[in-house]
Amino acid sequence: MTSRMNDGRSRRRIGVTATTGLLVLGLTACSGTGGASSGLDGDTLTMYTWVGGKADKQQWADYIAGGEQADPSMSVSFSGPPIGDYYTKLPTVMRSNSAPCLVTFQNGRVNPYVEGLEPLDELVQDNKLDLSAYSSAMLEQLSVDDELYALPFNAGPTVILYNKQMFKDAGVAEPTNGWTTDEFIAAAKATTKDGVYGFAIGQGSNPISTLMAADGHPYADEDGPLLDDPNFHDALQLLVDLANVHKVAKPLEAAAGGTFPDIDAFNTGQAAMEMQGLWDLQHAQESLGEENVGIAVIPSENGQSKGFIGGSGFGITKTCGDKQQAFEAIAAMTSKAGLDEVTKSQASVPARLDSLDAWSANVGSPEFTEVIRQMTGDATPSPVPPNQSQLDTLLTQYEVEAFSGQRTVAEVLEQVKAGLAQ
Amino acid sequence: MTFVSIDRAEGEVTGGSVTRPDRPRGRPRRRPLGGPRWVGWAFVLPGLVGLVVFIVVPQLASLVLGFSDSTVLGGTEFTGWENYARLFRDPQFLNSVLVTAIFVLVYVPANIAISLAMAMWLQTRIAGRSWLRVIFLIPALSPMVANAAVFRLLFQQDGAVNQALAAIGLAPIPWLSDGNWALAVVIGVSLWQSFGYNMIVLGAGLDSISPDVIAASRIDGAGRFRRLFSITLPLVSPALFFTTVLTVIGAWSTFAQAYVITGGGPGNSTMTIMLYLYQTAFSNNQLGYASAIATVLFVIIAIFTLFQLWGQKKWVHYD
Repeated sequence: MTSRMNDGRSRRRIGVTATTGLLVLGLTACSGTGGASSGLDGDTLTMYTWVGGKADKQQWADYIAGGEQADPSMSVSFSGPPIGDYYTKLPTVMRSNSAPCLVTFQNGRVNPYVEGLEPLDELVQDNKLDLSAYSSAMLEQLSVDDELYALPFNAGPTVILYNKQMFKDAGVAEPTNGWTTDEFIAAAKATTKDGVYGFAIGQGSNPISTLMAADGHPYADEDGPLLDDPNFHDALQLLVDLANVHKVAKPLEAAAGGTFPDIDAFNTGQAAMEMQGLWDLQHAQESLGEENVGIAVIPSENGQSKGFIGGSGFGITKTCGDKQQAFEAIAAMTSKAGLDEVTKSQASVPARLDSLDAWSANVGSPEFTEVIRQMTGDATPSPVPPNQSQLDTLLTQYEVEAFSGQRTVAEVLEQVKAGLAQ
Repeated sequence: MTFVSIDRAEGEVTGGSVTRPDRPRGRPRRRPLGGPRWVGWAFVLPGLVGLVVFIVVPQLASLVLGFSDSTVLGGTEFTGWENYARLFRDPQFLNSVLVTAIFVLVYVPANIAISLAMAMWLQTRIAGRSWLRVIFLIPALSPMVANAAVFRLLFQQDGAVNQALAAIGLAPIPWLSDGNWALAVVIGVSLWQSFGYNMIVLGAGLDSISPDVIAASRIDGAGRFRRLFSITLPLVSPALFFTTVLTVIGAWSTFAQAYVITGGGPGNSTMTIMLYLYQTAFSNNQLGYASAIATVLFVIIAIFTLFQLWGQKKWVHYD
């Protein structure tokens, strides 16, 4: 009898131990701890980034080729999902056993991910990297609490992309670098005809933050978006009015986050203008013809537009097995030699000021250079808040109700605020 | 009568009469039927390992995380019942339960009704019914994300559906701008996607009804409706029960349709529990809270399934 009871107890003990073991296994299976070879495939550093198609693949191949030009011993491979899924998958990937050594960030979005990133200040000092060659606005955007988490590779100022042929057909003068919001609306009205809209509105916070920056107002501070700022309200109201009052843009509809109806509309000739980062320039030129795509500064109230900087950068994960090798790689890819090489094939604006001349020469348009100098030279500092991803999700969901007239802009912003508070 | 019995334990063969070996009292000893016990375990083990590794461990891990403030990248601290208390104060979560409940209430009966009607229609002697079965099954075989992306284009303000309405003189409908219409689109796409599978299962159930029973009911003078409610439905009830259970489970965990077509909007009108869970975990980086949502969803589905299992005694006929 006693023996049977002991048997039962020992079986239960084995059962409990096995269950606990499996549970611990389950909880730890997805948490990478890093090791000497973590994030490396042999001697090759792995990089996780957004790869949405041929253009993205070419872009990363060009940055790697540029890095190899500066440091022939550098070896980096890359993989990743389209941009729409990138930021939702990134934390899980950084935490996994197959975490990469290198990751990339667009629009300065390092803040939500700093817990998994290696601060770079010590590596900068040890490697005597001269940070003054990079745009200070971008270094600031890629830093949190005065610690740098990524080296910028492109400046990506948001600009107006416009269809030159549509402007010509409508008899509208091409925009100047001093154009005002009223002139922008007039141009959009003139180009709206035959089922084509004058302007295509983008989803989420980017159009709002860009319009605010043009007038010198930051859309967020390090604690979060400034939803109570009347300028935030006015920027969203302007977008809604473009659709509902001026009838020059298609109202936004419910859509999954990470989709780009504005880019689709502009690149397929259904809209005469869009507000986007220069990363889309090549794609637009391929779709509409190189000579047919113009760029202009963001319109502002007083005609003295300031830029919205969305610096993109390379970061190093905390779990990376060889952080020195990783740093040498990102320093090579963002070196003058590296970025000069990239400008031969990519239109995105280099993050180094000393590579702007190469960019001007290779992109080959004085008007482009003038716009970029204005947008990067006098930019509104815009820190990226830690809840940026949540802000974009909520704005994408709720702003549709302002476009459909179900809620006012103020009510929409209240809804977003309530969502962020959760 | 003469028996030959083989006592496998002793390897002793006795002839002429049944011999009863002495057994210890209590529970009778079970004997393997066709070989040593490990053979049975060997068959079961791959499935069992899969079940434990991919279902049981993640479920338990999620249960444990639900009592923490874990984030995907950051640390974890035990917070007790805080996440569960927060669920009842969270209007976004309560809204997602309401949206999902509406989805279940509309989608499940509509799905079963359409599937059954189509299965019965395909039982009739129509030409090419085998091909029609395959055609109706195609949506169920194609990826939901791809289907949803196509439907998104069709239902845009200037999409094909509104163009078709305009062609017959009707005003465009704000399919993706109005919350009620957006939910209707999500439900409609879900129905289109999934009725084919249930149609095949119910068709198999209808096929198994003996033609003699139907013929007998005709001879007894039963009309079409009497035959449907007194013969066909009771005899197809096991298949109906099976499809209902799976459809209810699928409906409570709806994700892809809302994620791809509407992203939960406009506002939060199509925010299902699964989509809110996903956003909480990966957009808001609140893994602990998302795990609590997962546990509550698991409990909701378990309650509905148990209720259906209990209720089957009243309406499912297995003979």
